[in-house]
Amino acid sequence: MRTTTRLRQLLAGPDMLIAPGAYDGITARLIEQAGYSAAYMTGAGTAASFGLPDYGLLTMTEMVGNAARMTAAMKLPLIADGDTGYGNELNVVRTVQEHERAGTAGIHIEDQVSPKRCGHLEGKELISIEDYVAKIRAAVATRRDPDFVIIARSDARSVAGFDEAVKRVNAALEAGADIGFVESPQSIEEVRLVPQQVKGPCLLNAVWRGKTPQVDMRDAQAMGYRLTILPGMLLKTVYGACDAALASLKEHHRHPTPLFDSDVKDGFRRFGADDWDALRTRFRDPAAEAAE
Amino acid sequence: MTKPTTALKSILAKRQATILAGAANGLFARVIEDLGYEAVYVTGAGVANMYLGAPDIGLTTLTEIANHVAAIADAVALPLLVDADTGFGNAVNMVRTVKVLERAGAAGLQIEDQVFPKKCGHFAGKEVVPLEEMVAKVKAAVDTRRDGDLQIVARTDARAILGLQAAIDRAGAMIEAGADVTFVEAPTSADELAQIARALPVPQVANIVFGGLTPELGQAQFAELGFGCVLYANASLQAALKASHDVLDALKREGSLASVADRLAGFDVRQRAVDKPKYDELERRYR
Repeated sequence: MRTTTRLRQLLAGPDMLIAPGAYDGITARLIEQAGYSAAYMTGAGTAASFGLPDYGLLTMTEMVGNAARMTAAMKLPLIADGDTGYGNELNVVRTVQEHERAGTAGIHIEDQVSPKRCGHLEGKELISIEDYVAKIRAAVATRRDPDFVIIARSDARSVAGFDEAVKRVNAALEAGADIGFVESPQSIEEVRLVPQQVKGPCLLNAVWRGKTPQVDMRDAQAMGYRLTILPGMLLKTVYGACDAALASLKEHHRHPTPLFDSDVKDGFRRFGADDWDALRTRFRDPAAEAAE
Repeated sequence: MTKPTTALKSILAKRQATILAGAANGLFARVIEDLGYEAVYVTGAGVANMYLGAPDIGLTTLTEIANHVAAIADAVALPLLVDADTGFGNAVNMVRTVKVLERAGAAGLQIEDQVFPKKCGHFAGKEVVPLEEMVAKVKAAVDTRRDGDLQIVARTDARAILGLQAAIDRAGAMIEAGADVTFVEAPTSADELAQIARALPVPQVANIVFGGLTPELGQAQFAELGFGCVLYANASLQAALKASHDVLDALKREGSLASVADRLAGFDVRQRAVDKPKYDELERRYR
């Protein structure tokens, strides 16, 4: 089954879908191995993996290239951060074309001025609702696979208020978007209001120490959310684990015991060594090999 | 050996209206080098047309342009003046654009004051950013270059929107911000070209788009006016497009190349264009 179709099935299923954020092949595979049903490609994490902040510095080519690496590394549907579509609605056309080709199952497109800023930072600016709806229409009209999921994100909450954000997301849903994403609601009450006021399935963005309070996943499901992404969870875990290991080496002058304590082979096994080992012999002629 | 940046700097500084032919790929750059041109202009419009089969409306990414620049820089020894559009975003993006394109092998970067994503300078419906924003971009470019000779060519597209005087004033402000060369895009008469060259203290760029808005004065007259270079960004592309169209059309209609044989480069010419003898020699050397 195509990952787009699988993603739609999951979104229509009984439980809210939880998509932890990945930014490379390692994190994508770990999410799969942990038994999650979908992964989310974080734009901020992708930028961080280049050693850059989430200030709109990466190109569409770089973002899509990272998505392609991740879709090649796992079988789960990948929902990707499509930022602003990297320009105007014409750039959105290319962004959707390239993400579909990369095997991404869905992307979110936001209403910030391009180049954008992280949704939980200050100093964001918005494009007009007309320009934004044009982008959503462009994305919807461009997808070749009708199951490719278009998620409409509005960053209006912190710039123009909660009602404006809901209005924008609803306009985008009317223009054909599949899921609404009100970025950074600022209280539990606002978090609760989003699924009530948005006329379509809703996404919740769980950011650690962002502008939105933490919500139990079960409560989010009860509020009516269909999808929660946790973009920075693994990235921040990695920062901490790396900082601790690096400090430990300095302090104790020895290789620290890793959190994942494994030998060399076990490490590779988590990245498909068994499958690749099976291929070593599969295309060889057993008779000829035996004669050697 | 002179660095490509320094070579481009002196080409522009001598104000001889050096013709820079544009290349959208390594092959065109090789032709330009073989013919004895002094530098290559890496055309953004040409890359959009030839690589994406799309118009010049800001669809190509920095990454894609940088990959083209790197390939062209490997294919020829000539200095490359690279079309960097708007810097692909704001002043902060300009920092990354300069780093990436300088590393890719650019000897000069042309940056413009259009709203991102941009449009071809000879299209209708362009918009320009406020002057302060463009001045910030020029400063960002100048501050970021590692090689002080990397030429920052600041282009204004304001002529079509705000008029000639406003465009000249903008170019003046870009020079104050550190631009080495300025480029007032799409003046529409010889008189306008002369006014630009008179008014601005640094070498100027003229851009001759075949079928575009700026009159083709000829190199001698541009040199007299003191222009640093004259871009013929897509002469090679337009020639190749017409030839490919005519040859493929004849092949389709007639089922053979017989009637158009004179329109095709021979096998030997083609191998020379990509310097096959050099690669043969390398093969021998490392065998």
